Amino acid sequence: MSVRFKLDYRKFPAQPTEPFPRRASVSRPVVPIALINGSLHVRNLALIDSGADYCIFHAEIGEQIGLQIESGKCLSFFGTGGQEQSAFFHDIKLEVGGHEISCFAGFSRDLLSLPYGILGQIGFFDKFKITFDYEKEKIELQSVGD
Amino acid sequence: MTENTDLSEILKNYPDKWVALSGDSSKVVGVADKPAEAIQQAHAKNEPDPILTRVPKNYGTYIL
Repeated sequence: MSVRFKLDYRKFPAQPTEPFPRRASVSRPVVPIALINGSLHVRNLALIDSGADYCIFHAEIGEQIGLQIESGKCLSFFGTGGQEQSAFFHDIKLEVGGHEISCFAGFSRDLLSLPYGILGQIGFFDKFKITFDYEKEKIELQSVGD
Repeated sequence: MTENTDLSEILKNYPDKWVALSGDSSKVVGVADKPAEAIQQAHAKNEPDPILTRVPKNYGTYIL
């Protein structure tokens, strides 16, 4: 059965910049999720990122649900800066908006400059039809399986 | 539960830290260098299921 629900954008601190001198905060499609491994779970903020191929989280978050991070399958990937990074993939569950999905997610020790986990195409966008409404700061998700 | 979605004020004083937010995101209930420590602080404040986030030195501009 398909499930449909809405989540809110979140506002984060931002410094004014030359092209955006009045900017004091920034709204992003960042949502609270839970990462689940058996009986363990941890809640985390994650960015819904259509430009990301996979779901990637900080390694320290994976350790909170008992994962042996480096025992997973390793993937090298590239950030926008072009630097090579590594993530180790594990089968977990994600809970978002009260809806639980399976996810083969990566965990990386190279994300420390990134504030959020990343919800990407494989593992998230393949589980939901997603509509972004920036003006209303709402994200609508409709499950497509799982 | 009503969620606080404006984190622009409550997160700005914790650069380069892991922060645990209360379940409704209305307040900071833990600040530490490691998530486990932030969670422990939250539990000590009777927040059994905090929301973790990492606060960067600068939220900056992301083009991902």
